[in-house]
Amino acid sequence: METGNQRLALQDAMVFLGAIASGTEQAIGESANSISYLAGVNLGKKLSEGVAHTRDIQEALDATRKVLENNDYLWLFEPFKTHDQENIVREGDEGTEVMLVFRDCMIRQSLFRFGHTQKGSLCNMMYGFFAGALQNIMGLQSSLEIVHAGENACYKKLIVRRAS
Amino acid sequence: MSLEIAIHEQSCRGCELCIDICPTKVFELDEEKRLCLVKHAEDCIACLSCAYICPSNAISHTDYHAVKNFYRDAEFCQRMGKFL
Repeated sequence: METGNQRLALQDAMVFLGAIASGTEQAIGESANSISYLAGVNLGKKLSEGVAHTRDIQEALDATRKVLENNDYLWLFEPFKTHDQENIVREGDEGTEVMLVFRDCMIRQSLFRFGHTQKGSLCNMMYGFFAGALQNIMGLQSSLEIVHAGENACYKKLIVRRAS
Repeated sequence: MSLEIAIHEQSCRGCELCIDICPTKVFELDEEKRLCLVKHAEDCIACLSCAYICPSNAISHTDYHAVKNFYRDAEFCQRMGKFL
């Protein structure tokens, strides 16, 4: 396909994606989040098949980032710490915590293209992706909480639960 | 790339919207002058929410990573071909 046609096809796909998300949210409410979450889990598990197992969270994040890069997914992230944090990785009440900044994000772009609000069902796909990938790589449950959804970057808290 | 963030003092009305919206607590209110100040620029993640929400358009960022409008990026569109 020519690049010009690919651009048009990509824009159509994005509008379609936004429309599906919006329609699903209207039709079934918050259950749309579960559907997107599970789709993300399946994607995370599928794409991280064969990735070396590790219990080190930074190694696991590097591996997850590599999985995204290798598959041309524009969902890249970086660990972040504020000036008052000693380390990037912290031990919290619920598990090991890392703050992540997401800059280029194809979901955010799709939502803006459609004029759709952030923090909706499509954003839960990223949560699911991490849960699936980290389940494969670390063998642990995790959650990805949206702390802030910005116009140019999003700020999220990854919590990897302790092994029971 | 070294991000810089600045508040135009004459434009700021001290409404504190930037303080409320910033997820990493970059700003602080100068009670005496009733102006918002950049207190921890190093904590800025360049989400640009403060710049968008400021009613006086007083906040500016320089040297930050602007998100890719990937549907306009020819190289990315070619890579996305496999999904289409």
